[in-house]
Amino acid sequence: MYERIIPWQPTAIAGPKQALLVTPKTAKMMIKRAKRPLFVVGPIIKEDPLLKLTIDIANKWNIPIVTTGDAYKTLRDRDTNSNPYGIVEITNLLKDPEWKGVNGEGQHDLVMFIGCIYYIASQGLSTLKHFAPHLKTLTICKFFHSNADASFPNMKDEEWLNYLEKMKIA
Amino acid sequence: MVIHVAPKELKNDFWKSKDIKISFGEIIYDGEDSEEKESELEMGPTPKPNVTDLRSWDMKLLDRYEPFYAPFCDMCCLCTYGKCDLTDGKKGACGIDIKAQQARIVLLACCIGAAAHSAHARHLLEHLIEKKGEDFPIDLGMNIEIEAPIIRTVVGIIPKNLGDLREAMDYMEEQNLHLLSACHTGQEGSNIDFESKALHAGLMDNLGKEIGDISQIVALNLPKGDEDAPLVELGMGTIDREKPVVLCIGHNVSSGAGIIDYVENNALEDNMEVCGICCAAIDISRYNQHAKVVGPISKQLKFIRSGVADVIVVDEQCIRTDVVEEAQKNQAKLIATTDKSCMGLPDMTNEDPDKIVSQLVNNQIEGALILDPDKVGEVATKVALKISKDRKKLKILPEMDEIQEMASECTECGWCTRVCPNSLPMMGAILEAGKGDFSKMEELNDNDICYSCGRCEQECERDLPIMSMMARIGENKIKEQKFNIRAGRGPIQDVEIRRVGAPIVLGDIPGVIAFVGCTNYPDGASDVARMAEEFLERNYIVVTSGCGAMSIGEYRDEDGKTLYEKYSGDFDAKGLVNVGSCVSNAHIPGACIKIANIFAKKPLEGNFEEIADYILNRVGACGVAWGAYSQKAAAIATGINRWGIPVVLGPHGTKYRRLFLGRTDLDEKWKINDMRNVTVVQGEPAPEHLLYAAENREEATVAVAKLCLRPNDTSKGRQLKLNHYIDIHRKYFGTIPEDVYKYIRVEKDIPITYKKDIKAILDERGWAPKKIISEPSIRDFKGQSSPENFKNKSHPKADAK
Repeated sequence: MYERIIPWQPTAIAGPKQALLVTPKTAKMMIKRAKRPLFVVGPIIKEDPLLKLTIDIANKWNIPIVTTGDAYKTLRDRDTNSNPYGIVEITNLLKDPEWKGVNGEGQHDLVMFIGCIYYIASQGLSTLKHFAPHLKTLTICKFFHSNADASFPNMKDEEWLNYLEKMKIA
Repeated sequence: MVIHVAPKELKNDFWKSKDIKISFGEIIYDGEDSEEKESELEMGPTPKPNVTDLRSWDMKLLDRYEPFYAPFCDMCCLCTYGKCDLTDGKKGACGIDIKAQQARIVLLACCIGAAAHSAHARHLLEHLIEKKGEDFPIDLGMNIEIEAPIIRTVVGIIPKNLGDLREAMDYMEEQNLHLLSACHTGQEGSNIDFESKALHAGLMDNLGKEIGDISQIVALNLPKGDEDAPLVELGMGTIDREKPVVLCIGHNVSSGAGIIDYVENNALEDNMEVCGICCAAIDISRYNQHAKVVGPISKQLKFIRSGVADVIVVDEQCIRTDVVEEAQKNQAKLIATTDKSCMGLPDMTNEDPDKIVSQLVNNQIEGALILDPDKVGEVATKVALKISKDRKKLKILPEMDEIQEMASECTECGWCTRVCPNSLPMMGAILEAGKGDFSKMEELNDNDICYSCGRCEQECERDLPIMSMMARIGENKIKEQKFNIRAGRGPIQDVEIRRVGAPIVLGDIPGVIAFVGCTNYPDGASDVARMAEEFLERNYIVVTSGCGAMSIGEYRDEDGKTLYEKYSGDFDAKGLVNVGSCVSNAHIPGACIKIANIFAKKPLEGNFEEIADYILNRVGACGVAWGAYSQKAAAIATGINRWGIPVVLGPHGTKYRRLFLGRTDLDEKWKINDMRNVTVVQGEPAPEHLLYAAENREEATVAVAKLCLRPNDTSKGRQLKLNHYIDIHRKYFGTIPEDVYKYIRVEKDIPITYKKDIKAILDERGWAPKKIISEPSIRDFKGQSSPENFKNKSHPKADAK
């Protein structure tokens, strides 16, 4: 159990404040409770089944997508709209409580991440942990992110795909 | 003679301006007394600026490009009050908060980086003064009159000889001391002021590098801005393993030069190999083109493990601190050569060289500290000649069948992958090797995707020597590891600046991109070369140095050519300019400063703010430190930023804890002063960020193209720059960028190729044309440095050309 809830890259541990370990059930509750959630999709998501699962999850919950790296093109090739930002750019905007959000409707209150490079995601989550008390962060990667508010545990592929399948169901 | 013409109003079609002032600069006569000319130089407002003297400039930068913090650690552990938890708005026992603590660590990193470059420079300077005398002239050849643009601008002096550089060095050392002291507990409390100090530390780093490189260029007769500097051999496959091999690792050329001198003086050039890793390699190959470049820092552990080097000579910076242990593993002999890295070895500096040789050869000492470069040359050469034959019989790396057997013992714990900085699939590669398929390990070895940090090996519960296995697998392709690199040319010539100054400032050359820094790459070294190739093909000027320059050399295009073979070394469109080692980085801001002086006639001496403002708003330069890992790289980037030049880091760069990001959604951040009309106008987000980190090569390439935009671009230049930005965005993102409307000031700015699509975007956004700013600046109107403040608008030597 221990190995599932230390950071995937163990030296990414930052201090005493650690993420809450969540299952798909809890993660879905967080989405349901959110008023303006946002889904940040990174460039590691390139191929199926991950790509399809990611798009399905976004569609299921009707969450606007921000793509980082070059993931915009990956999703566009699947006829899925997203808003391209650098991961540091979107993090910078998310930490500002006055930012109007990707749809101009107001700052987001939940940001869910998948597919960003682990260590840069960890740094971005650290920024939000310290400087964005107005929102919660949730990671549904197969790696435990201790800088998030809530994170899936470290998992092997099979278990992770199973988790993501569950995320498609309300 | 100086002629001033200042008509109040010129009304015909060509002269649609008021208050134009035309100055004909100094007319120089042969034999004119240069000292007399110097006495006419008027000093600008900030010669030798102290820590707070450029603070107001920093505040302008930091207001537009606010610090973005990504804490690497939630706590502070710098004093015995701690550890202090700084989460949830909590402050430490000293009162510091998380922002100030991050900025404090950044300042500390910049001070360390500046100290490393500058201590290196001080050592070189004193060593070379000892050898050549303090009156040895600073002569960079006929085409370089502005010999030290950073020293001139920051210190306010024109150094004539090596001894003059001491004044700049003394100033730099004092500043770095004050800056370092600010890191102490209970000193600075504001994150913004920490950042201002970090910018000052970065500037001091720039200064130290310029002192170091000028010293070695003039005293060791390295290439002096030579665009046709020779191609030198690069790659692990270029080393003749049958010969005795001396390997230099680090940055300080002194000991390497000592080795080369000894080898040449004893006519041993054909009998042995002298090669290097990291910047030591670049600088010994500038000193003597027969020296070979093994490669960047990523080759360090691989090459040491290969056992090819008989003698390993380490100087300073970026050397593996376990190099004694690694050398012993394959009975190589280690010589440490600087006070920075003594490695626990006995000081043999004052011993007879033959006695040191004897003790090393007979294993009486595990290595030697020798602080005399000439003695290093003699000892290293003699030891290599003595032990090489016997060492060739040693079996140093495992055979392939042994690798398979060892790999089959893998327990699949997965920790090799988890502790890898890039989470590389090492476990999977080892499992395949256990089945006799080495292709996955080869893939990781190729292009330094695995840069051999060795963390995986330490974690392995079966103690598999993973780095040795990788080194052996790499040997299978050793014959392919033969490349080249253009020897570091040093500064950019004044005549080149005259040629490209206008095209750069007006935008006809779309940008100057500098690939610098280390090899902490997210996905291998070829990313850097591919980015360089992309911009070279698009007519940008590409400048490079250090490990970045070596990574570019390790790449071949579709025709099998290296980029150094394909592109000239000219500082011009499509030029690939290797300026040299880390310290040679100084020539990159140096070129931008020269543009301000030679093209725009801005005076340099003591005039930092006006020069930086000019660069920020007019010179489309952008740095890329894709694999930045060190404190030196932090200082380099921060110093470059203070000159107004944006820098893009790789994803590991976020671990520096701080970036400088612009907010394109906030119009008020982009208000800009039009100095000619003395009005505040709405500008555009150009350059958008000052220090940015990209997640992958594709994102970085798009960002770099955009970061070359400047408020001063002419419509023709803007068209050209936008055309590249859109092209690259389409290539990697598939669309015309949505934000393109922000950079269209008038219809003439629209690239013809994309006119229809962009007009549709403009219509959708309700775009209206706006006036192109005549003289963009972020400086205060009242603080504007008017020409009247200077007797001469540029150095007379520059005008003389």
